[in-house]
Amino acid sequence: MAAEPKAAAEDAKNDLFEDDDEFEEFEINEEWDAQEEVTEAPQQWEDDWDDDDVSDDFSLQLRRELENAAKS
Amino acid sequence: MAYPSMGEAHRRVTDYLGRFSDAVSTQDVASLKPLLSLSSASPSLLSLADALNLLQDAIRLIKQSEKWSQLAEIVAPLFRCLQSYRLSNLADAYPAYEKAANAFIQEFRNWDSAWALEALYVIAYEIRVLAERADRELSANGKLPEKLKAAGSFLMKVFGVLAGKGPKRVGALYMTCQLFKIYFKLGTVHLCRSVIRSIETARIFDFEEFPQRDKVTYMYYTGRLEVYNENFTAAEQKLSYALAHCNPHSEANIRMILKYLIPVKLSIGILPKDWLLEKYNLVEYRNIVLALKRGDLRLLRSALEEHEDRFLRSGVYLVLEKLELQVYQRLLKKIYIIQKQKDPSKAHQMKLEVIIKALKWLEIDMDLDEVECIVAILIHKNLVKGYFAHKSKVVVLSKQDPFPKLTGRPVNA
Repeated sequence: MAAEPKAAAEDAKNDLFEDDDEFEEFEINEEWDAQEEVTEAPQQWEDDWDDDDVSDDFSLQLRRELENAAKS
Repeated sequence: MAYPSMGEAHRRVTDYLGRFSDAVSTQDVASLKPLLSLSSASPSLLSLADALNLLQDAIRLIKQSEKWSQLAEIVAPLFRCLQSYRLSNLADAYPAYEKAANAFIQEFRNWDSAWALEALYVIAYEIRVLAERADRELSANGKLPEKLKAAGSFLMKVFGVLAGKGPKRVGALYMTCQLFKIYFKLGTVHLCRSVIRSIETARIFDFEEFPQRDKVTYMYYTGRLEVYNENFTAAEQKLSYALAHCNPHSEANIRMILKYLIPVKLSIGILPKDWLLEKYNLVEYRNIVLALKRGDLRLLRSALEEHEDRFLRSGVYLVLEKLELQVYQRLLKKIYIIQKQKDPSKAHQMKLEVIIKALKWLEIDMDLDEVECIVAILIHKNLVKGYFAHKSKVVVLSKQDPFPKLTGRPVNA
């Protein structure tokens, strides 16, 4: 029984210090050339992935599965 | 802790007082900052603390001396703070520092120019980290941790001092960001609202005038709030701003921005390139991206389960779970394409039985009713264009664009 309140307190203590993702402080007067990096950087995102290509492994397996199912 | 001689102790104290006084009278903020920076634990501050602990009556001496009386209100509590700090008594160090900070603010208000703004930033930072450490100490001793909450109140007051016309107002965003860090740490994020409202609606503030580093931090935290509130369009705008304007060398910060931006992008149908996940060590998203590309519902579920704790902690679990609908869409689209290749005339009619078989292959057992329900939801949310031929248990797909792309908008609520 004595162990319980202590465990609860541990939890409360951990809850207190939430936020694993606290932003690191920038230096005062820290400046950088963000623009430069952006134009040289390779593309970060793709929005044309939703194509009609069904030649990948997953799609081939799916096709086989549907054919087998159709037969049974 | 090697204590100095009395004479040496005296010298250290008067040296500090002289430097403080000179910095103020010549408006030299670069010299003032290190005198306030407790957390730097600089050798000179530590040795000053030793001197104070030895002298014990330094404070009385300051107050009595004409020379230092002007600064006494600031320096006396600061000395008390240093003494407590040196003796590892943080619960006492915090209130003393706050008292010193408060006295500093009173002087700050009287200075017309913003020459001391950087010193104020140091004070704000010290208030926050000292309060955090004090609370850890209090908790460890079984006492109630209330210093960080007090720090929040204090910084709100400082914000108020800066929220006026004049050059000091550019400091308001730094204060805001310190407040965000406190509120997020305490889990009282609802308190962010009032300061956000001030920044975004008060006439005196022009967001573009604030320093870049503060704008990035601000957009990161307000972006996270938008994620919590499921405003994905706003979340994307803010987090993208933070990403685009963040110091490219701040890898830790970039990683944090991406950690929240990626789920948002996924929910509007945009995928991160794998090199991005690799570079910033966010590989927990890899299988989720793959699941979306494939239409592999089993993979999505296993990826969610594998990293459940991590996603729950950062609060993005629900955002990712909702991706199920997009994965269903992709799966159905693949079935449609496969059928179309086999028999183009019949492709727009998809039997529910076929969907059930595909799901069974993915080790997901669903009956007719359940699949019908999912398809109904997909149609309702415009992820599928078509209608049910209920009796024949067939989905009749629109001949044109039966699987509309999200193209950067979130799935209909």
